[in-house]
Amino acid sequence: MLVQLVVTGLALGSMYGLVALGYHITWVTSRTMNFSQGHAVMAGAVVAFAFYVGLGWPLWATVPATLVLLAIFGVALERVAVRPFFRAASAAWLLSTIACGIIAENVAMLLFGKDARAFPSALTQKPILVGGAGFYAQELLIPVVGLLLMGGVQLFYHRTAYGKQLKAVAYNPEAAGLMGIHIPRAVMFAYALSASLAGIAGILLAPILNVAATMGTIIGLKAFAVAIIGGLTSAPGIVVAGVGYGLVESFVAGYLSTGAREIVGFALVILVLVVRPWGLLGARPTRRV
Amino acid sequence: MRRVMLLLLVLCLGLVIPPSGQAGESIKIGLAAAVSGGSAASGEAIKRGIQIAMDEVNAQGGVLGGRKLELVIRDDEGNPAKGVTIARELVEREKVVTIFGGLHTTVALAQVPVWHELSTPYMGAWAAGTEIARNGKSPNFVFRVSANDDYADKFLVRYATEVLKKSKPGLLLENTAWGQSNEVGLNKWLGQKSIKPVGIEKFNWNDPDMSPQLLRLKNAGADHIIMVANAPEGAQVVKSRAKIGWEVPMVAHWGISGGRFAELTGDLSDGVAFLQTYSFFGKQNERGQAVLKALKDKYGVKGPEEVIAPVGTANAYDGLHLVALAIAQAGSADGSKVRDALENLKAEYKGLIKTYKRPFTPDQHDALTDDDYIMVVWKGGKIVPVAMK
Repeated sequence: MLVQLVVTGLALGSMYGLVALGYHITWVTSRTMNFSQGHAVMAGAVVAFAFYVGLGWPLWATVPATLVLLAIFGVALERVAVRPFFRAASAAWLLSTIACGIIAENVAMLLFGKDARAFPSALTQKPILVGGAGFYAQELLIPVVGLLLMGGVQLFYHRTAYGKQLKAVAYNPEAAGLMGIHIPRAVMFAYALSASLAGIAGILLAPILNVAATMGTIIGLKAFAVAIIGGLTSAPGIVVAGVGYGLVESFVAGYLSTGAREIVGFALVILVLVVRPWGLLGARPTRRV
Repeated sequence: MRRVMLLLLVLCLGLVIPPSGQAGESIKIGLAAAVSGGSAASGEAIKRGIQIAMDEVNAQGGVLGGRKLELVIRDDEGNPAKGVTIARELVEREKVVTIFGGLHTTVALAQVPVWHELSTPYMGAWAAGTEIARNGKSPNFVFRVSANDDYADKFLVRYATEVLKKSKPGLLLENTAWGQSNEVGLNKWLGQKSIKPVGIEKFNWNDPDMSPQLLRLKNAGADHIIMVANAPEGAQVVKSRAKIGWEVPMVAHWGISGGRFAELTGDLSDGVAFLQTYSFFGKQNERGQAVLKALKDKYGVKGPEEVIAPVGTANAYDGLHLVALAIAQAGSADGSKVRDALENLKAEYKGLIKTYKRPFTPDQHDALTDDDYIMVVWKGGKIVPVAMK
């Protein structure tokens, strides 16, 4: 039982962590984020389903096509729902990105249909049984990709010139602008990256969660909880928090009761907000007096 | 001059008074069901059943001296608040005579007060919550040609104990009013056989992984699972069961037939037994052949394996014929009169699921009982009937 709960928790947790990285990318550049990141994941799954199952494309064509479309989606989202409010220093982007998510969900219902559909994958055909615990190979792929992406994002922001520029934009937009960084383009880039990441998450999760227009809400919400717990400014923090959250969910469901799972999970969010508002591994904001 | 005025007055009156009750005007029947979300197939299936029966009634000259029946559809999105809004809209704006309901018990329960306030009969075609039809209202405007959880639970327990010969059930229920309704029913009928479930586990809609719940039931020593779930969650249960490597017989209520359960689960669904009111597989009566032909001509359904969510179509088909008979007997499209006629239907109707002789009485608003249910099992993506003995 213990082994299975650990395996289940790791699989779930790496899903949350993977999706939550999307919040991190736009946050460190613009101090804004797509509140409907879950819907972007759904869009990734639905678009991939359309190419892979609907049109019968091979996987090597499906994945890049999906990521490009999602990047365009991210750019459009930034242009429509974030940029008008970025300068005004208002939090209206919060509501406008939620609105975009709801629109995306309804467009998906119209175009994709309303049924949950199966996304065929060789990695979810038969579970692998090891020592009384089982998992699907696909569930192993998620933490691997998640860790790789986390590493990539870290390297990008800390080691490349452009990554550092993006961080500078968030730190002090005016100074960054004076240094010759094109701020709107930087923010747009971050949104394209974040949406592509959601696309990757969507493709990876589709065989496990099935593809449905309504699949994004819960996963987006839990990923947000994970991003808050881990710290919006820290990619490793988010991955650690994701895995931790998945384990907590799994253990609470297994040993306490399934009804207590969401209660404990979201109570943790409140606890972290009270004790460490910047998250477990997030950078403590310096207050300028 | 006076004559001209009089003429004008008559003309005006003619414009003001709606031409109700004229032979040409259609009688509207509403459908308030989930036609979106994970259980959208159920709404589509109910629509098809109503439409096919409606075409038959209209082809034979309609009702009330040549008035045609017409279907008006609204989406409840599986959301009780939305269900109440569209219920009012259908009655107050669209002036429907009777409303057919969809899959979600939560929605149907929320709508019960609306039907009584607006004196509009409701014909349940899917949602099986016991208290939808047994709602304590008098006169009761809710009728149902579908399963009733109480009878369904009796039927599931009978199958588990008498056919499977198992005595340690683990219950796996969705965390909603529908799950609740079945928890009561299953405990009641298990109790009559002096059986206590070894565990009762719940899950939420869109839960991605059910292995903790299954592990708890396994560790508690369950020798079979009785599951109450819709298609998306039912599929996750089956996948998680394979993951923890637990080969245990599963008996399910019929919610799993409301979506693409077979597609979502692949081979893993083989052997999952569940309740239905009708199966289009096997030998068909005359109605069955006619419905299959209409499904093929109108919706391109090639055979019984392509009939989506079959109970929705079967229940709604018989339901619409019963409503048409009631309107004819009432001689009116007035909600209260149609209700009275439904409760005291004189004509015998040889239907798809069975022959209905006075299907509803003041004390019985479920036309089908556990004697009318059948047990079926998934096999290679197809639904195959199994014997109850």
